[in-house]
Amino acid sequence: MKKCIKTLLHYLDVTRVCIKIALLTIIEYPSSILGWLLSNPIQFIVGFATIQFVVQEFGQVNGWNYGQLAFLYGLSVITHALSMIFFVQGWFMGYFVLEGEFDRYLTRPLSVLYQFFFTHINVFGFTDLVPGILVFGYGCYKVGFQWNIQNIIILLALIVGATLIRGGIYILIGTTSFFTRSTNDFGQYTQEIFDKTTMYPISMYPENIQFILTYLIPIGWVSFYPVSDLLGIQSTYAQFPGTIGLTFLIGILVMIVAGLFFNFGLKKYESAGN
Amino acid sequence: MKAKNRNAYFYVYKTQILKGLAYKFDVYGNILMQTIIMVATAYFWRALFKNADSVQGVTVDTMLTYTVVSSMISVVLTTNVEHRITLSVRKGTIAIDMMRPVNIFKVFFAENLGGVTALLFQNLLPIFLIGSVLIKLPTPGSVTGFLLFICSLTLAFFVNWYLAVLFGMLAFSVIEMDALIQVKKHLIRLLSGSIIPIWFFPDWFQGALEVLPFVYLYQMPLDIYIGKYTKESLVRGLLIQLAWTIVLFLIYRYMQKKVTGKIMIQGG
Repeated sequence: MKKCIKTLLHYLDVTRVCIKIALLTIIEYPSSILGWLLSNPIQFIVGFATIQFVVQEFGQVNGWNYGQLAFLYGLSVITHALSMIFFVQGWFMGYFVLEGEFDRYLTRPLSVLYQFFFTHINVFGFTDLVPGILVFGYGCYKVGFQWNIQNIIILLALIVGATLIRGGIYILIGTTSFFTRSTNDFGQYTQEIFDKTTMYPISMYPENIQFILTYLIPIGWVSFYPVSDLLGIQSTYAQFPGTIGLTFLIGILVMIVAGLFFNFGLKKYESAGN
Repeated sequence: MKAKNRNAYFYVYKTQILKGLAYKFDVYGNILMQTIIMVATAYFWRALFKNADSVQGVTVDTMLTYTVVSSMISVVLTTNVEHRITLSVRKGTIAIDMMRPVNIFKVFFAENLGGVTALLFQNLLPIFLIGSVLIKLPTPGSVTGFLLFICSLTLAFFVNWYLAVLFGMLAFSVIEMDALIQVKKHLIRLLSGSIIPIWFFPDWFQGALEVLPFVYLYQMPLDIYIGKYTKESLVRGLLIQLAWTIVLFLIYRYMQKKVTGKIMIQGG
């Protein structure tokens, strides 16, 4: 027990140093921070504004009014930002495998998966968090979200669960490069699919796509089901009681599966060169 | 001498086509990506039109045509010149590029044209087929409309290229361009009508956008294609599009001289 706590404290200590280093690195390039501070908010705020104009014109999308859509969109951008900060490395796993970069991690006395993600914390992800919080705040105001203790806990559980689902899927996709040995960067595709399935209600897609997003790839759980549950919106395809708890559990489950798969893939790892 | 140069540009154009045809995976990836975006957008419109027959004088069928054609236009308006210049400046090979007895910007243009020519077969055709099967056969409003569409699209190609090359020239003064390239991409994506037509926006916003060059990339050719125009709006639109082409060309000519001069001084 004592040893366990000691290990945990050690990991926390390393994380603190890693974050500090990441912050110092970005201060080196101020023009770059400014660029991303401009780029990401434009993408999401203007993106949402254009959707809002359309929805105002039509009234609603599959029973979702624009306040509810803002809530969904904002929450989706927030969990996207968090997954960018902690798990974006999963997108580039192919390069690490091909370049033999895992050698370095394997020789250190820390978990490889931990090192892979936490020695490269992507602090720029915070620039995604800003528009997410703004749109989400607007959505909360429009739907009259109650900020009591219970709702805050639910919201936190939801955000953690959704971020873990996203991160787990990035790891699962990234790990395939241990077997394929290719550097194909699936990041862009992953992002596009996530955007189209978490920022809008998936009820607008045909039932077979909804089936895939509910049971095979748990993307529906990132935002659609928990938000439907939270705001009390009836879904025609499937309704789950206690969805937010489920989101949290599915998040942890996806992460465990991803971790196991990663460790399995790592066994197949051969360094580059001779 | 002149004729020889022209051959050089044609050679670059040809090589670029062959190069484009060589990268298979990129092609499949791009098609997959565009299909996802196109199909998702189509479902978005279907969901919106569920309770409405026609909004802003447009039906769901027209909107689906709009979606497919917009995906096809995005292939024609692919540019890589910003990345090309940024990379050249960052690696320092721009100095060698400039020393060659050809105009480097014309080489960039030939490269771009070659790339797009390869994409017509690799990307535009598959997108057209996939769109026709999964969404709807995109039939134009009328034959005249289709011919005018081709004219407008040609102008759009030039507006797009000048915007890209002018933007790329920023790389000579700004080192970190990645974020700025993203800004430009998002602005075009959201304000050009490529995904959401600007008629759905409030009037004040539409008015502002009509002055900017972005809507002349997607919105203008698309409006002509689906037949959503009056004689008056058509003439005005095409004139503004032509005006933007000329203005951007003049800025490009001016900037090209300035940038070339700057490199010479640094090299000397």
